[in-house]
Amino acid sequence: MNLNKPNFSRRDFFKAGSIIVGGITVATALTPFDGLLFATEPPKGKGKWYGIGIDINKCIGCGNCAKACKLENNVPKDPFYFRSWVEQYTIKNDGSVLVESPNGGIDGFKQSVPDEEIFKSFFVPKMCNHCAKSPCVQVCPVGATFETPEGIVLVDENYCIGCRYCVQACPYGCRFINPEKGTAEKCTLCIHRLDKGQQPACFEMCPTEARIFGDLNDPGSKINYFLKNHTCMVIKPNLNTGSKLFYNALSPEVR
Amino acid sequence: MPQHIKRLIGAFAVVIILFLLLQTILRPTSFGKIGHYRADAIQENKMKELHYAGSDKCTKCHEEMKTDKEVGFHATLQCEACHGPGLKHAMYADKFKDGKLPDSLMLHKPGSRKECVICHQLNAARVKIVFDTINNSMIKQIDPMKHNLVDKRNFAKLVCIECHNPHQP
Repeated sequence: MNLNKPNFSRRDFFKAGSIIVGGITVATALTPFDGLLFATEPPKGKGKWYGIGIDINKCIGCGNCAKACKLENNVPKDPFYFRSWVEQYTIKNDGSVLVESPNGGIDGFKQSVPDEEIFKSFFVPKMCNHCAKSPCVQVCPVGATFETPEGIVLVDENYCIGCRYCVQACPYGCRFINPEKGTAEKCTLCIHRLDKGQQPACFEMCPTEARIFGDLNDPGSKINYFLKNHTCMVIKPNLNTGSKLFYNALSPEVR
Repeated sequence: MPQHIKRLIGAFAVVIILFLLLQTILRPTSFGKIGHYRADAIQENKMKELHYAGSDKCTKCHEEMKTDKEVGFHATLQCEACHGPGLKHAMYADKFKDGKLPDSLMLHKPGSRKECVICHQLNAARVKIVFDTINNSMIKQIDPMKHNLVDKRNFAKLVCIECHNPHQP
């Protein structure tokens, strides 16, 4: 169909018109299935919507959060299974970046670079970002990982088939396959503790209050106070994951 | 309508009905209630066992520690951060009120160089403005190989809590 031809007939006009109108109608009719495209619904401003804040300036790298997480959630003891861990970033004078995390920081950190060579050094506690548009939720072929209405990304252990798609999809490396169960495992924001009115274990055990946690929908919550008073940033904002883990004093070297 | 089209429609109908039937049988009942997942899985995740009690439970019995700790540098340090998860310890505390708890329920008492140094080892990453919310001071750091070391062979024997009160350092 060529619209530029000189004698554009009535028949051609109706053809083109019906294609455009029909297309718009079909697209509109499909909007309720947006969820399939974006995997999760955006927050609606009702109920709780959990967010996390971490102040890098306050973190002393004690590893209490990593230790508490392992003990609270029966995470395998091996040094490569973590739901929550701490990384020590050391930026040298020549600009190179060294990231260390011996046993996730549970046994403490040692600075391997002599002080003269260090430009700056800091600790970055890492955990699940509980993204609003989680890549891990989108790739799950069976619907075993999902986001609760409160914004917590969970794994359904009984439904997971252990295909490891989500482990690859997570840009923050926050998932692993439990060697005993053979299913994906990740931070649950200690939903079992939240249910009983307790704080998540890593927040509870932080000695410097570097970790803040609360309801983003509540204007008076701790997390909103933290966000208002600090210049916060998420890791890898370019990926548009809708991360809800906000860092204060985050250096661009952190990834 | 031609015969072959009718047959095709019939075949499609059978496949669709079979699919719907199988789906209703195989699909878990709570699947799709809230979203594309099993709604019961939220409850299952909530049912998991707790291990950490929280300091409120600790200070119910160990009140003197609370008053001790409140004024010191370790005010914001939770009991269980050093002593380990203590929900079982707290749960059985009432049952053994007169006597002592069995050893298996007793909590860890740290104080060696290895343990205190996890937070207090000298480290460039730690040297920065880390303010204690109460005393407004930086975290104290030591080099464990130099700090109060009389004899290097005695390293393991040197215990931090002999000089420092861990609850009020």
